[in-house]
Amino acid sequence: MGDAGTIQVPRASRRRNVPRRANAAGSKRRRELLLVWVFLVPSLLVFFLYRVLPLIWNLVLSFQEFSLFGATRFIGFDHYVDMWNDDVFWITLRNTLLYMASAPIGIALALAVSLMVNSEVRGRNIYRTIVFLSYPLMTVAVGIIWRWLYDEKVGLFNFVLRSLHLVDQPLPFLQSFELALPAVLLANVWQILGFYMIILLAGLQNIPQNLYEAASIDGASRRQQFVRITLPLLRPAIFLAFVIGIMTSFTSFDLVYVMTQGGPSHSSELLVNYIYRAAFELSKVDYAAALTVVQFLLLVVLTWLGNRLSGGDAGAVESE
Amino acid sequence: MLQQGSPHRYRTLARSLVAALCLATLAVNPAVAQQKKISFLTWNISDQEELFKEWIAEFKKLRPDVDVEWLDKKGPEFPTYYQTQVIAGTPPDIINTQGGLWLEYAAAGGMVDLTPYLAKEPDVRRRFNADYLGNWTYEGRNHMLPFYISKTLLFYNKTMFKEAGLSGPPQSFDQMMDYAAKMSKGDKTGFMTLNFDWLYWPLFRMNGVELLTPDLKKASFNTPQAVKVLDALTKGTGNGAINKISWTGRWVEPNGAFAAGNVGMLHAHSPAFFFIRGQAPWINADTLGVTNVPGGWATPNSHGLGISKGSKQPDIAWEFLKMVTSEKWTERFSARRKVLTGNVASDKTTLDKMKVDDPLAAAVLQTQLEQTDKLTGNWRLANDARVKDAFYPEIQNAVLGRKTPAEAIKDAEGKVNRVLGR
Amino acid sequence: MMSARPRTAIAPARRYPHWPIHVALLLVSFCMLVPFYWVLKTSLTGENIFVYPPSVWPVAPHLFYYVDVWYYIPFARYLLNSVMVSGLAIGANVVFNAMAAYALTRQFRGRGLIITLLLSCMMIPFQTTIVPAYLITGKLGLLNSYLGLALPTFSTIVCIFVYKASFDAVPRSLIDAARIDGLSELQIIMKIMVPLSTSAVATNVILSFIWSWNNFLWPLIVVRDPQMQTLPLGLSRFLTYHENTTGALYAFCIMVLLPGIVLFLLAQKEFIRGLTSGATKG
Repeated sequence: MGDAGTIQVPRASRRRNVPRRANAAGSKRRRELLLVWVFLVPSLLVFFLYRVLPLIWNLVLSFQEFSLFGATRFIGFDHYVDMWNDDVFWITLRNTLLYMASAPIGIALALAVSLMVNSEVRGRNIYRTIVFLSYPLMTVAVGIIWRWLYDEKVGLFNFVLRSLHLVDQPLPFLQSFELALPAVLLANVWQILGFYMIILLAGLQNIPQNLYEAASIDGASRRQQFVRITLPLLRPAIFLAFVIGIMTSFTSFDLVYVMTQGGPSHSSELLVNYIYRAAFELSKVDYAAALTVVQFLLLVVLTWLGNRLSGGDAGAVESE
Repeated sequence: MLQQGSPHRYRTLARSLVAALCLATLAVNPAVAQQKKISFLTWNISDQEELFKEWIAEFKKLRPDVDVEWLDKKGPEFPTYYQTQVIAGTPPDIINTQGGLWLEYAAAGGMVDLTPYLAKEPDVRRRFNADYLGNWTYEGRNHMLPFYISKTLLFYNKTMFKEAGLSGPPQSFDQMMDYAAKMSKGDKTGFMTLNFDWLYWPLFRMNGVELLTPDLKKASFNTPQAVKVLDALTKGTGNGAINKISWTGRWVEPNGAFAAGNVGMLHAHSPAFFFIRGQAPWINADTLGVTNVPGGWATPNSHGLGISKGSKQPDIAWEFLKMVTSEKWTERFSARRKVLTGNVASDKTTLDKMKVDDPLAAAVLQTQLEQTDKLTGNWRLANDARVKDAFYPEIQNAVLGRKTPAEAIKDAEGKVNRVLGR
Repeated sequence: MMSARPRTAIAPARRYPHWPIHVALLLVSFCMLVPFYWVLKTSLTGENIFVYPPSVWPVAPHLFYYVDVWYYIPFARYLLNSVMVSGLAIGANVVFNAMAAYALTRQFRGRGLIITLLLSCMMIPFQTTIVPAYLITGKLGLLNSYLGLALPTFSTIVCIFVYKASFDAVPRSLIDAARIDGLSELQIIMKIMVPLSTSAVATNVILSFIWSWNNFLWPLIVVRDPQMQTLPLGLSRFLTYHENTTGALYAFCIMVLLPGIVLFLLAQKEFIRGLTSGATKG
């Protein structure tokens, strides 16, 4: 079949005395670039329409005073100034960061479960299905049942705690300022474990079997195989899980909405919940837009920071 | 090559023609009908589908040139849907709102002023209970007609009262708190209140606490009286006399708890009765007491019907509203849903019938028509929602023990004044 | 590229005890199943869950709530709509994400920028895009249509990266050989990358199904015609003020859950590490 260099060279390049190889490679690269873009377009189009444009809409709106039924006028940075002085903003921001900081727990748990389920234990199909069961369940259902589990008077958790005499007074999980957010977090981990699990399992499938075989022959112990083969090659999947964990903590609207509606007194309210409430319950779509912009910028900064801290190559999500 | 390709090519051609036809049919819009169209959006009442179909059929007889579309959204998503439609320029012509949401839209100029319509047709105006109709006025303008009405009342568990040696319902706030303490034991609590849409506010109002000054410009609740009330509520919540769910804004949990027979008194509006009765076989006239809260103050949680400013056929919408609030239809609605509609004649008929068929329910609904001059919990402000949002979390802070009542009231005052000041 | 090593020469690795794994997995399974058990139990008995102490065993279970669900809402119609919308979403996801992921495995100028852009798109929660998304869908003339319902879910960044991780693991030599054989890029994706990434395909299918199937807020906003509503919108019927429909509500949730589980069960084998995956990637 020959190599690219011996293909018929365009006459123009011959005239210009450009070395044959480079020019053929140049057009090949252009073709490749075109192809890459053609492949990217469908996805990029969806994101452009439903993420980028809305973000721009929010950005423009954040500098305006918007009235549903009247005129809109430009007010510059007023909303951002209001935000600075808004306690609720700072409370919800803090809650969101706390939520985010506990994402690693869920991921670590999912990693442990994935590894166990991927080993040769009998009945792993059943275990795998059981762990996954919670993810396709509608979040409203998850919220409702966990609300009952946490109920101070009639909930299962308090029933167990009291039966085992671990507490004398029942714990008002969802009405407690300290416990409400962790309570929602636990329900979230319960639901999302299956999701992390299949991401990590898919990552485990990418590790070639014969590496383990070769290592076995070379006398490596299971533990060494795990540390030297599994973990490093699982790094992209783990990094992806982390990124997802951080994103979902900023976008995990439904569970808080159903379980506590941000209560009591904003102690379990996430920034995304505040944005929704500001837009639709307090009828301040313009302020909500400003909050959206701030949240987005914050996430960009956090991701950039995370990237730098983890070695700078996006944890091999974009390696090779 | 061509010969081999021919049948293949024809097949491809045929397939592309079919595909093109399909796309064409998808893209072609049916010719714009000469029919006019109105739509009405209801608030979480999808169980009455039959009734709405009958409304639409009847209106078709009155106005064959108008098509009517019915939409229904649950409370939490209602504003999201409505506001999106408004921004997109296609708001439903008629909307049904619960509680104080209408105020947001009316104050921003989004609801048609019905006063001229009512002025032109005084018989229509006379249909309605004046106090309830006045619920939906802003700056002297009428913006909505009653769809169905309700306000808070006190339910009490007679069995629990007897067990605690108490006779009859409480006659004052202090007595209510006292009874609550007496009845709470183990897993039983003495008192619970619903709290969404400010249904809890009568607890304060009955003690003489006013939220705002009469000109609605400043907070006026930072008084020793208010601190006393909040203190009583906090103490009650702390020692279990008041169930903590009271402060969470739920519907199912408080009613479920009362239905389970574990709560002495429930401060709720009339729909709660029907919800509870469905779950509590023990409920009858001997075990359930029904009365107004001491002092008679109540927060209304009524549903109104109004016309969106962006409606393209407000006159047709008005005709529709006239029809559905007439006795024929309100009686039918009351019979199916066991609610009062604010239509005076129809409510009388409904109650009279119910006193025979279902006396306990009649007693519940009777309270809805009593002391309608003592309605509270809504202030005619454009930023009513924001004021409430600034106030309530501080109350939560106090009752759940995070701040002292005095501190909470003071902080709330600061926050409310800040909202009012902008 | 077959290994010349005979199977029998592989020394078995030191066996590790399985029972600690079983104990751990049993514990995890128990925790995962407890809430489920209650949902299931209440869907069969419709009991008042505010009674104390909670009863562990179902009292007088019956299947009527499941029948009720079918009649309370136009279940069959909603099911059809959901199937159509999710079908579109799955098809688009599997294809578009594979294409995008393949493009990202190639080195080109602006690659880093695109990846950053994609990651940042993930950071925009849906609730902040409701109104503009509606306006855009309106401009496209897709309100009240299956396409309009499915379009925002046609591609997701998580799934692109899942594909990408899988594609990255395919040895370059295979791809180069294929190019030399004259295969076009599209053929490379279809004939080499995707068959070797069945677990990524399975993940794409499962995730795009779940996200489009459970999507609640978007169909609520974009669909006006009751005949075009999807299953989650039927939920509101069970959350009414007027009657207690807890049993039916839970039965409804279980019924909506089932297709996702079935899909996962069917795709199970893609997550099993077997001799096959090693050999073709080795």
